[in-house]
Amino acid sequence: MKKETILPETRDTAFRDLILKTPVGEKIPTCMQCGICAGSCPVSHEMDYTPRQLVRMVQLGLKHEVLNSNTIWICTTCFSCSVRCPRGIRPTELMETLKPIAIAEGIKNKNSKFDNIFSDVVKKNGRASEFLLISKYSLSEPGMIKQAPFGLSLMSRGKLPLMPDKMEDVRELDAIFKTGEEKQEKKPESGTKENAETKAEAGEKNEGKAADTGGEAEK
Amino acid sequence: MKYSYYPGCAQHGTAIDYRMSVEAVFRRLGIELEEVKNWNCCGALHVPDRNVRAALSSRTLASAKGLDIATPCNLCYSNLMRANTALEDATLKNMINGKLTNKYDGNTKPKHLLEVIVKDYGLAKLAENVKKPLKIKAVPYYGCLLTRPENKFDSPENPKSLDNLIFTLGAEPVKYYYKTKCCGGPVLITNEDLALSLAKDLLGMAKESGADCMVVTCPMCHLQLDAKQKAVESKYNIKFDMPIIYFTQLIGLAMGMSPKELGLDKHLVPTDKLVARIGR
Repeated sequence: MKKETILPETRDTAFRDLILKTPVGEKIPTCMQCGICAGSCPVSHEMDYTPRQLVRMVQLGLKHEVLNSNTIWICTTCFSCSVRCPRGIRPTELMETLKPIAIAEGIKNKNSKFDNIFSDVVKKNGRASEFLLISKYSLSEPGMIKQAPFGLSLMSRGKLPLMPDKMEDVRELDAIFKTGEEKQEKKPESGTKENAETKAEAGEKNEGKAADTGGEAEK
Repeated sequence: MKYSYYPGCAQHGTAIDYRMSVEAVFRRLGIELEEVKNWNCCGALHVPDRNVRAALSSRTLASAKGLDIATPCNLCYSNLMRANTALEDATLKNMINGKLTNKYDGNTKPKHLLEVIVKDYGLAKLAENVKKPLKIKAVPYYGCLLTRPENKFDSPENPKSLDNLIFTLGAEPVKYYYKTKCCGGPVLITNEDLALSLAKDLLGMAKESGADCMVVTCPMCHLQLDAKQKAVESKYNIKFDMPIIYFTQLIGLAMGMSPKELGLDKHLVPTDKLVARIGR
């Protein structure tokens, strides 16, 4: 892996401080880079940076690299890392904390698109209908056509009802969905805005820019 | 025994078989599940903001009317548990309660249906209901979110409750090292290759163990391992032919209920060989 020096101007201390102030951020400074998170992760081999590297990058305030990495979207939220971390850091919750920040910074990829559709369906109907989710997502992802036999097989067993299940009354949900925005409004302004497509799609691999996150051992 | 019941969205869609078996088995055991009125989705893993998810689950927890709230889904269970933890932060609790018609005091206890059966109802009592000891080998597969991150009901590393349940039903729980490894369900739609590779590992290990079926506790694990099994088979050119059974279906079979009543005919991987084996 090519090593590059991290220059002071590439470090965003406001971003670092923003994360350290969240509930999951409190313990991040205590990370000793033992790597049990990366070793426990079932999908770290697909990530631009392993969970261990990502924690170090947050400590360093490498905002651009962190928010543009596929790591936060590849994470399947299995929490293996989180129950094993000897410092009590929950890397899974770090990923969850970073997602809305990445979205607010304009990051777009397949996962953020699906999450957006999911949130819209829940906000509107109060419940997630698999049929609505798959059909809405397929409209914007032509590759989904190869999932058609899968959808049909579910339908043949009565597992994909076309009529979406709905709450009787969704009035409370609008306010509930604003909980996130209100929390975000409190955040201090941080760094420059970077709008970029992330490399969450499988196959596109990052060359690895963060020098002292030392990825060789895990790649 | 009575619980407030939060079925979750999958019970009205891909997990119709799970729903049928839950209804049949719990009625027979005399455990009352009173469905929460006008319940909302927990946000699964796909409402990206965890504070919004905490608020969604708080609304559900607030409608439990003083009862424990039971749920069949690992994702719902984990979101409910995590909401309780998140609401220990008084600022967040106040902010969320500002949006709810029914305020939430933070005191409702969520329970997965497996916990209801194993801990509350009790395996000794369940054993009395077993009419047909199963005499099969079964993989106890817990998935991720039943025991993580909140380590309240069973060990996050080596849980035993489902093993014990399988044993109580007269079957043999096989040694299975991936019992809490991720099935890939959360990335099924957005990263199918990755999802299928994770499922392949689980199914391969199950086949190797000599098991007749895998037992699951979560609709997403079931979707991934049952409905997607064919896709895994054709991608990797391996034949698994591994029935994936909800733990409630396994209980029902041991209690002598018909496979149809338990929704076994709704599975994508045929269960007839398994049923024939049990019938012997």
